[in-house]
Order: sequence, then structure tokens, then C-alpha cells
Amino acid sequence: MTEEPTLHQNEQPVIAVDGLLPPDVVDILIVGAGASGAVVAWRLAQAGFSVVCLEQGRWVDPALYPTRDRNWEILGRHEWNWDPNKRAAPVDYPVNDSESEITPLMFSAVGGSTIHWTAHAPRFHPSDFRVKTLDEVADDWPFTYDDLDPYYDLNDMMMGCAGISGDPAMPPRSPRPMPPLPLGEDGRHMAAAFERLGWHWWPSDNYVNSMPYGGREACNYCGPLGFGCTRKAKSSTDVNYWPEAIRLGAVLKTYSRVSEITVGNDGRATGAHYFDRAGNVHHQAARSVVMAGNGVGTPRLLLMSKSDAHPDGLINSTGLVGKNLMFHPYSITTGLIPGLSKTWKGPMGNILMSQEFYETDLRRDFVRGYAYQLNRGSGPLTTALGGAHEPVSWGAGHHEDFSERFGHNVILAGIGEDLPEEHNTVTLDERLTDSNGLPAPRINYRLCENSKRLLDHSVKSATQVLEEAGATRIMANPLLRSGGWHLMGTARMGEDPERSVVDGWCQAHDADNVFIVDGSVFVTAGAVNPTPTLQAIALRAADYIAHERDDLKG
Amino acid sequence: MPTADRQLTSVDRVVLKRVMDLVIPPDGDFPGAGGLGLAEQLERSSQRYGRLRSGLLSVLDAMSLDIASRIEGGFAALDEERQIAALKTVETNLPAQFGEFVELVYGNYYTDSRVHERIGWVGRPPQPEGFDLEPWDPAVLENMRKREPFWRQVG
Repeated sequence: MTEEPTLHQNEQPVIAVDGLLPPDVVDILIVGAGASGAVVAWRLAQAGFSVVCLEQGRWVDPALYPTRDRNWEILGRHEWNWDPNKRAAPVDYPVNDSESEITPLMFSAVGGSTIHWTAHAPRFHPSDFRVKTLDEVADDWPFTYDDLDPYYDLNDMMMGCAGISGDPAMPPRSPRPMPPLPLGEDGRHMAAAFERLGWHWWPSDNYVNSMPYGGREACNYCGPLGFGCTRKAKSSTDVNYWPEAIRLGAVLKTYSRVSEITVGNDGRATGAHYFDRAGNVHHQAARSVVMAGNGVGTPRLLLMSKSDAHPDGLINSTGLVGKNLMFHPYSITTGLIPGLSKTWKGPMGNILMSQEFYETDLRRDFVRGYAYQLNRGSGPLTTALGGAHEPVSWGAGHHEDFSERFGHNVILAGIGEDLPEEHNTVTLDERLTDSNGLPAPRINYRLCENSKRLLDHSVKSATQVLEEAGATRIMANPLLRSGGWHLMGTARMGEDPERSVVDGWCQAHDADNVFIVDGSVFVTAGAVNPTPTLQAIALRAADYIAHERDDLKG
Repeated sequence: MPTADRQLTSVDRVVLKRVMDLVIPPDGDFPGAGGLGLAEQLERSSQRYGRLRSGLLSVLDAMSLDIASRIEGGFAALDEERQIAALKTVETNLPAQFGEFVELVYGNYYTDSRVHERIGWVGRPPQPEGFDLEPWDPAVLENMRKREPFWRQVG
């Protein structure tokens, strides 16, 4: 705090419009300009549809990200916090998470949460799409890994994937466009420990440039890419999909917060009401609406959109909108390894991954599984405040405790597969509102017994490998409360209209011109970061619209 | 709950400097958080973030109400052992506010360039310079490539 932090906000007008003014009635209205909205805008603009996207946030100039500021660690805890309740910016909506064991994280801007993600880009396994058949839990998806494979590949090219083929934990797949990021001293050290135990590890797939790619620079390994990348080496949809989509004719309106999807007498969507930054209400008419607000924002808006045709909220005849919320529960086990000295050096995100415990093993006391992500240490303030653990002690033992941690800490994050349960919900809060007076979402979420056992196992195994690596002290957090990066399941897909909200093409059962393309449609969660999968699903849905829904084109 | 617009008194400032030195004491010949002269900066920075300001004022108010301090003529008059005991009482009774106060002290100490030099941290923003890492070496996968595929087949 040696200097006053700068605000890092660029001034914008009441509504900022990128692209030519749209026709009065557009073909495709997208709600949300994050990971999946960008994908659909690009693909459908390319296919000749008129596209408008409404985004409640703003464009953020990468040159203004906190990592250029010497107070970046402080900004990351406040103005750039991953938790919207802690940022409390007017473009964010608050979330009542008092009844949730995990707090949801998100970012309102062009690019959405890809602005502040660490760009870890794994794929689901084939088994993730068949959990009912294989393990008799939850439900199967209405498509397979093989159906999604070409869209994963296309998305890897668009986002720019650094990684390498040959992983024995995954099916064979196409080469990535870039080699992996370097492992660093800590990565090599931990990889050797995994190998001595006979456990799997593989360098992470990351949407981070290991070489110049897509007109963007290579990573210079500065570290805290979770607070935005000033070099644009870390991929986010504001620097890849969106510029292309706008070039192809898509129109993006920022500071435009949708309050209701409007419908006609036939129950089909007709467009959306939205607020501009000054609080004026507008209507954008459209032939179809594509929801891309992710697992909390999308059900919130659907539940706010009540009408005679949809009295319980838009496309909610099953009552499933907002139910089956899944996070990925995380355990965090940190080892302090005296033999390492600069674990803060290199990208903060995932270095390598172990999928030794990913698939169901009937000898364990849980079904499905988890993966490990190896993460780096961080700067001095984050270290002192403990990260996922207790802060460094104050008083006489302070310096010894700090010295033991700083530069020596390696972090194993166990990311577990969550199972869908109807009592885990997103509903509308009766009192809390956003800056336009719209009801905030309320989260009710309890961790199930299977997840608890799975996380306990992940801590025990992490302890084993960290001891193998020479850790002299190990700190464990069996459930990271502030770890709700992944928001899934609240408008699930399926072929049965009585047990799902959308079909396998992301088209609503209750209204054939409403689509959902974000994490809401996930049937199950897998045990890896979901963004490549949700983007691949969005690409597949967009292809369906492009090829099968000519009726939506004016 | 103190009001966030309350200004610190001269007594508060004396207490603050001492408490900062108790939270992060001197390390050999290197001064503690109070001795480094960070109290004024901490007071300024607390005004930026209401939650942390509230923590600061709560802790200072609690110290002023501490029974032993009142009997002895103020916190500064206590010996170190009793000062630490008083601070631990505040930590026990007001854990959230105490945590916010500690965050303020750590935030000012661990963003100071003298501290960065002391702990061997590169005291600059991460960008634009970044860091060097050894290039990717495909040979590290030699053993893993020998493992048979173990992903679960789907019929």
C-alpha cells in the first residue's frame, strides 16, 4: 500500500455499441458476452445471422489490469476480487450465499470470467458423459465425448491451446497448436514425486500462449494471470472470439443489463428488456434468444421472466430451472518444501495435472473421482494472508512462519466431481437486489456425502505425494469455501422434456427459439475445469442453429 | 461498532504504532511494522476500504477499553507481556475485526519495498518484465509415455 491503487476503470458511455447498428428485429439475441456467448456470436455471425449481444459489464482495457501496479495483490483482494460480493461494483449483481458451503465467483465484463480465470483447459473424459450407465448415478448426457471432440478441437484453435498429446489418462486427440508451458523447478520436482509413487501426471493444457499465437504475445511467466493478462498471452474471449465476431457483423452492447426475456402469446421469446447504465429501459426484439449468463446468471434471469405462458419462469414447466446446482468442490493441500526457493516464479495457474484418481474405483468409498492441479505459490502478501489456509501467525513466531512458507509452498488442488442434487439451488432472493433493483440470486448448496469422502481421499493422497516430495510441513483445507469458480447444472439438458430444460442441441423444450449454451446445461460436472467443454457445447449448438434453424434468419 | 468516519486521536496513533510492532515484530536489526514508519500509511489506506477501516477502529476502540490498560494509564504503559495478552483478548472477542486489522498491517508491510528486499522478493509489478523459466523439455515425459492408457472405455 505504498501508493494509492489506481481505479483501473475506463470511462464508458451509457451504452457502448461495437459494430453497426442492428436491425429492429435481430435473428439472434445473446445474453452475456463471456466464454460461451462469444462463441455463439462468432459462429452465427459467420453463418450470416444478424446477432446482438447484451452484456451488463464493460470492455476492460488489458493495459489497465492490476499486474502493472505494484499493489496488485491488494487490488486482487478488492476491486479485482473474484467474488462479486467483495468487488461490489455496480455492474455486478450481488449473490446471497449465506446458505451455501461454497461461494460463487464470476466477473461481469466482455470476456466474463475468462478475464480472471487461470486458463486451465482440460477436457472431460468419455466416461463423464455416461455416469448413469457406468456408475448408476445422476444421468447420462444426450451426446458423447466423440460428438464433442471436433468442437473441442475447433475451440482449442480459437482460444489457443498449449499442451502435448500422448496423455495415457485421455483418449488420443489432435495435436495442440502450441507446446506446453515450461514446468519450472517446482513442476519438475513434483512430477518426479508423482512418478516415484507410480502415479499419473501430465503437463496441463492451458489457453496461454507458450509462443506468439493468434496475433498475441507469448507468456512472460509473470505469475498472477488470474487478475488479467496485460500482454493478452492468456486467452480470454475479449481478445479472440469477440474481435472476430464483431468483424463478421455481430453487435455487442455493453452496460446493458437484461431484466426480462419477453414472450409472445404463443410462449416463444420475442426479445428482451434491458437497462442501460443510466437506468433507462430498452427493448431489443429478436427471433431467438440465446442465454449465456452461466450457471447462476441464466437461471436467475429465467426465473425473473414470468409470463402467462411461463408462470413459474421462462421454460420452467418442469420446475428444474435453478435446481441441481453443481460446483466443483476443491480441497487444497499445501506442502512446504525447503528444497524449493522460488515457487512464486511462473504462471499462477495450473502447472501439471494428475488424473490418477479420476475414474471410479470400486475399492474406494466414493463413486466418480477427482483430479489434482499443481498450483504455484504467490506474492508476499498473499502468502502472509494464508491463501486457502490460516494466515501467517502474528507476533513472535511471525517471521519464522512466513519464511517457512514464502517461496517454498506448492499447492495441490483436488478438484472433485460434484453430483447433481435438486436441493442445491439458485432462486431469487426476496430482499437483496442489484443496482437496478432486480432480485439477486440466492444460493442454497450443501456438499453431499460422496463429495466429502472424495475430498478426504484427495487430502490424504496429496499429503502422501507432498511427503514424497520432501515437504516438512503440510497444511490442508478439506473444502475451499471461496472456490465456486465453476457454476453448472441449473438448466440441465436431456432428451426427456419432463426431466430436463433443454435438449441435446441446447434448445429449450418449452420454447423452440430459446437456447442455453452455458454451464447451466451440464448434466454432470466431471472433475475438471468446465470452460473448454461449455465452449465446445456452445459451438455445437451454434452449428445446429446455423444448419437446422434457417427459420430464425430474417 | 465504531463509525468509519471517526478520525484517529494522537493516543490512537501511539497505540497503533505499538500494536503494529506486536503483530509484526522486528526481525534482527530490521524494524517491525510500526518501527518501519507504516502507521500513517496504514491509516490512509484504511480509508479506501470500509471493511478494513472498521477493523482498525474496532481494534483501537477495544484496546482503549481494555481493563488493564485503563488501570495502568493506557496501553502504552503496559509491559510487552500484558500488551500481547490484551491483543489476544481482542483477537478472541472480535475475531473478524481483528482479522481485518491484521490484513491491514500485513497489507502495508508486505507491499513495502524495504520488506521486499529483505525477503528476496522481486519488488516490482509482475508486468511488464515477467520472469524467466527454463524452456519446455519433452524428455520429462519419457516415463509417463510408457504407461498404458487407463482412461475408462465407454461402450
